[in-house]
Amino acid sequence: MRLRSVFWLVIAGLATWGVLRAQRPFQAYSTAEEHAEYPIPEGAYETHEWTRARLAYPSILAPHGTPDGYKRWTIDYPRSDRLLLKGIKRLTRIDARSSEQVVFLDGTDDVYNWPLMYAVEVGYWNLTDDMAAQMRDYLLRGGFFMCDDFHGTIEWNNFMASMRKVFPDRPVVDIDNKDPIFHVIYDLDDRFQVAGAQYLFTGRRYEYDGYGAEWRGIYDDKGRLMVVICHNMDLGDAWEWSDDPRYPEKWASLAYRIACNYFMYDLTH
Amino acid sequence: MFELLFKYPMAVFSRGTFVFLGGWPSWMLIAAIVAAAVGLGFLVWRMTAAAGRIHGLRSVAVWILQTALASILLLMLWHPALSVATLRPQQNIVAVVVDDSASMATRDADGTSRHEAAIRVLNSGLIDQLQKKFQVRLYRLSDHLERIQKLDQLNASGASTHIGDSLKEVLADASSLPIGAVVLLSDGADNSGGVDLETISEIRRQRIPVHTIGFGRETMAHDVELSDVEVPQRALPDSRLSAQVSFHQHGYAGQTAKITLKDGNKVLAARSVPFKSDGVEQTESILFNAGAAGVKTIQTSIDVMPGEENAKNNQLTRLVNVDKRTALVLYMEGEPRWEFKFLKRAVEDDRNLHLITILRTTQNKIYVQDEHNDAPKLKDGFPTRVEDLFQFDGLIIGSSEAAYFTSNQQQFIHDFVDRRGGGLLFLGGKDSLADGGYKQSILNDLLPVVLPDRKNTFVRAPANVELTNQGRESLITRILEDPEKNAEKWKKMPYLLNYQDPGQPKPGAVVLMDGLPLQGGRFPLLTIENYGRGRTAVFATAGSWRGWQMQMPVSDMTHEMFYTQLLRWLVSDTPRRVVASTPQQVLEDEASVKLRAQVYGTTYLPASDATVEAHLLGPAGIAETVEMRPDPVEQGTYTADYTTPQAGSYLVEMVARRAGEELGRDTMTFRREDGVAENFKVEQNRELLQKLASETGGRYYTPADAQKLGQDINYSEAGITVRETRDLWDMPVVFLLLLLIRSGEWLLRRKWGVI
Repeated sequence: MRLRSVFWLVIAGLATWGVLRAQRPFQAYSTAEEHAEYPIPEGAYETHEWTRARLAYPSILAPHGTPDGYKRWTIDYPRSDRLLLKGIKRLTRIDARSSEQVVFLDGTDDVYNWPLMYAVEVGYWNLTDDMAAQMRDYLLRGGFFMCDDFHGTIEWNNFMASMRKVFPDRPVVDIDNKDPIFHVIYDLDDRFQVAGAQYLFTGRRYEYDGYGAEWRGIYDDKGRLMVVICHNMDLGDAWEWSDDPRYPEKWASLAYRIACNYFMYDLTH
Repeated sequence: MFELLFKYPMAVFSRGTFVFLGGWPSWMLIAAIVAAAVGLGFLVWRMTAAAGRIHGLRSVAVWILQTALASILLLMLWHPALSVATLRPQQNIVAVVVDDSASMATRDADGTSRHEAAIRVLNSGLIDQLQKKFQVRLYRLSDHLERIQKLDQLNASGASTHIGDSLKEVLADASSLPIGAVVLLSDGADNSGGVDLETISEIRRQRIPVHTIGFGRETMAHDVELSDVEVPQRALPDSRLSAQVSFHQHGYAGQTAKITLKDGNKVLAARSVPFKSDGVEQTESILFNAGAAGVKTIQTSIDVMPGEENAKNNQLTRLVNVDKRTALVLYMEGEPRWEFKFLKRAVEDDRNLHLITILRTTQNKIYVQDEHNDAPKLKDGFPTRVEDLFQFDGLIIGSSEAAYFTSNQQQFIHDFVDRRGGGLLFLGGKDSLADGGYKQSILNDLLPVVLPDRKNTFVRAPANVELTNQGRESLITRILEDPEKNAEKWKKMPYLLNYQDPGQPKPGAVVLMDGLPLQGGRFPLLTIENYGRGRTAVFATAGSWRGWQMQMPVSDMTHEMFYTQLLRWLVSDTPRRVVASTPQQVLEDEASVKLRAQVYGTTYLPASDATVEAHLLGPAGIAETVEMRPDPVEQGTYTADYTTPQAGSYLVEMVARRAGEELGRDTMTFRREDGVAENFKVEQNRELLQKLASETGGRYYTPADAQKLGQDINYSEAGITVRETRDLWDMPVVFLLLLLIRSGEWLLRRKWGVI
């Protein structure tokens, strides 16, 4: 091969690498919940103005702290994500991609391409120090983190164990009803506990000792929410089961409205 | 030598008119010369044919020489002469104007001051020569003209030099006195910007020659001089400003000196600069922070170098009015997106910029964010009344298609820039620029770019950035103070997530930043221009948040600085309804100042029926109110002349009222400094003196040849003159020429061996 050809191959390789580094393309992963399977939607690989990221985190149940241990981060995935994104596209003017983006706190720059990140079942997450540091950096640069679907005292404590690594000193507070996050699109003064799909089988709205919904958050120095914590509720299930006639409409409806408000809040604050 | 050959001084030839006194018509002279040329040609041809010893070019040379000889003789027969106007002895006045400004006290290389040199020239016979033929009136010149009786009244103490104004006063005297000529003794170091064309025209009209005698060195051996310092007259608090410091030097090429900017004792900025070649004008840009609201007296100085001859021209004072005001910027965004979020975050710490946003969140909802409750009428969305839009200083249009705005609203936006003088920024996006249908709207006119004729110009692909040459100089894109390091920083910034092809810049627009898509190509990323009374800009991306914020460390302020500086540029020159100004904020040895107010109504149409007062507060408790008069030419403009009683800082508040209702008010400051002007430009301005002399029919003299002036000054068309004719036939040069021609022919013939 002539030297010139080698040169152009290297340039082409670097250019391709550069383009890929801009944003990792969409990739589908296997889910821990068979019923949450959902076909890859049309336009999943297109680039859009806005994409909701789903954090893949290591679980405390995983033997070596790897994301691929027991895939807690894939609960409700991807059905929940893709139904929610349909709703976001229909209910708001956000130019949302039809597919979610799975992101990792892996020390690369990719996570910074997705300023809104969602995580499920964070009562089981187990961030390493490096992951926590990257998440702190992500949030202070302007990222927004929403977590959901964890219940009761034990899961809260475990959630906080990792969150304290992210922000050792920032308080977790109940979000006041007057906060713009509950009014940016919909006025959501009257919120209630959104139960998960287990309600369909148990008739119980709460899990463990998580009797009442807790709308909490962590504010930055400018008084803006950068972490929103949906404790003792299961919005993920509400989105996932929203097309199932057995699942109460009012819970699904509130879950969508909460998502619309939270995402819009992020985009406006 | 000239007079030896030509019999008369050069002034006779330069001012006289050529005439024939012989009485025969001029055409006969031409006919006689032609006849002589033909006859001589025939004779030379016959001689060549007969003898054959002179032929070819030799015969032509002989014919030319003989024809020249005959032509000169014929010319003399027609009795040539010069008709020249001369001043009648003892009936005219010569105005001797001596520069008595402080710069004349400068001692030059021989240790003599210019003042002493001028006195010496006058006392070495020049005055006596003039007094023999004319009445001599002595004047001293500084910032005004004053008649004096004796030379010992001169003391080189004038605060400034206004040659043009002083000559006007001489012309005023000439209307009632027979002034035949003006003799100006000066170093030409004028502080009023030179002699204007109007004065020159008036001198020419009165045909008074101004003879100038120049004193002083034209270049200093060792000196550094600050020529000018340009700073914005107004700024928002905490603005980053640039001072353009111009200077030149002699004798220190290659050395380094420090330029320092101070406000009182507080150093605002300092930078060392290397000197270029001697005499080369250098301009350096020094960045500084405007600080809190109030008047900043910016003292700019450059180090005094060892052995400098004049250390008083190393500093200049300028004023910056840091307005205590908050600029309101309305941001209309059609699409919830991260550029919106991060732009808001980028400027939120700027206390003097209030960003009020309207976001279309859903198909039928908007979300208005007005943290300081600056614009309570925005609940229903984009303003539908011109007054409501005109309350803002700047406007940002994000990804919102042109058709979203009604035709009225589009007209308001157009007028917002054109008439109100606001700043308008277009951001890239899927519904922006060409993709948003702006090419077909009246807003197309406002854009600094010619939009492409196609859609799909918004590309979700990465692009790097690079500063253009103008971008390297601009404060909008200045993150690091050093321009080179700044340009390098931008090159290395992580790329933008997307970009939009905005087309090509319009004539007059300035591209500050190019976008370089990773797929190849180049496009104008940030383009700005002035439009009407306002400014417009296009920032053709919606993805700066990715490269300049999320991909950068938390401590990096690039994104914040970029958007803050861009928005400050957008609004800092947006006028209020009353704009107070003055042509000069620092009066250097000047007493009078022109106050100016531009007054507008609520829709920013000029208010010509207002009552405007200027309230002045000056040093030592000076408090005065001046009534301002409407300008007869410029609608909505009011002016007043004010004479400052003493040096110091003056605060002016101009208040405009109409029918008892206040239209608005504005404050400004100016400062009078005495004893400053004559420290600058102390070299002899020979160019000015030469030009003044040549334009008026006079002549420039050095002190060494000034005595010739006594003779040259006779020839003038001003004052009381008599027209004289001076014969030219008996000039020695004529006989010399005849001799040379005959000798030449003889020598040629001898060389050719045909004698």
